[in-house]
Amino acid sequence: MRDNAKGGALTEVTFYILLSLYTPKHGYAVMRFIEDATGGRLSLGAGTLYGALNSLQEKGWIEPCKDNGGRRKEYVTTVQGKEIAKKELARLNELVGIAREIIGDAV
Amino acid sequence: MSKKCYRFFGGLLNMQADWLNRMSGKGYRLIRTGKMLYEFEEGKPNEVSYCVEFIGEKSKESAEDYSRFLEDMGYRVFSKNINLNYAVGKVRWRPWAERGGRIATNATTFNRELLIVEKENDGKPFELHTSYEDKEDYYGNLRKPWLFLLLMFALVSVAKHSVLFGVFALVALIPALIYQVQILKIRREARTQEW
Repeated sequence: MRDNAKGGALTEVTFYILLSLYTPKHGYAVMRFIEDATGGRLSLGAGTLYGALNSLQEKGWIEPCKDNGGRRKEYVTTVQGKEIAKKELARLNELVGIAREIIGDAV
Repeated sequence: MSKKCYRFFGGLLNMQADWLNRMSGKGYRLIRTGKMLYEFEEGKPNEVSYCVEFIGEKSKESAEDYSRFLEDMGYRVFSKNINLNYAVGKVRWRPWAERGGRIATNATTFNRELLIVEKENDGKPFELHTSYEDKEDYYGNLRKPWLFLLLMFALVSVAKHSVLFGVFALVALIPALIYQVQILKIRREARTQEW
């Protein structure tokens, strides 16, 4: 993934996955969460989601839930992942602040 | 009522998916696959959509993990061979595969290079790969075996001064080029779009 962790900029997909996994979810629920949150604008293919979940797991930003009774594998955002998400929120706030100054509140 | 069809598509993944989707349009839904066999049951037209996915580069573990993930997403998954393999030796060397998948045998992805993925239609298009980065990776995986074949045929052709192997090399060049064009197109689009 092209996430720039140092500069803070995450891809939209990464940020949404981190947010969706603040509460534990399996793959299908993550997909639904992102579709619902964006009104269908962002729709992830299963293969792409699979790759994204694996790469976020390698980075240590999400982890599989230890104890879940169900058959499906559930993931949850780690402490590190939440730090990254907070930084991204701060970066976006800064960006939105500057954009408001220039464009105005109209939109 | 089941209907049996015998087809072989080899590496023509889109053609295979298109045919399965046409069958679904006529109300036939896949229940079983064999080496050349596709068995369907009759139902309502357009109940399901199909994608055909290449997983020959995956190790046994990651191939199983991936198809379990797809099943958890609510899809039905069938495995399929990409070659006919009438040879006796059921072992293949795949230097282009990921770690753990480079020696393919009957117990791993040998003769299970493809996944046919079936989704119940819900009005949305069925795509497994949606981000530019992921598409680029996927087409890269499809290109690798063809580049390998191209290299091997070219080497044999030069070493043995064989025209026949030269022709084989040229044939392997075609799909390698097709995937290369796809990759370049995706890269160009990715420059102006985030995903």
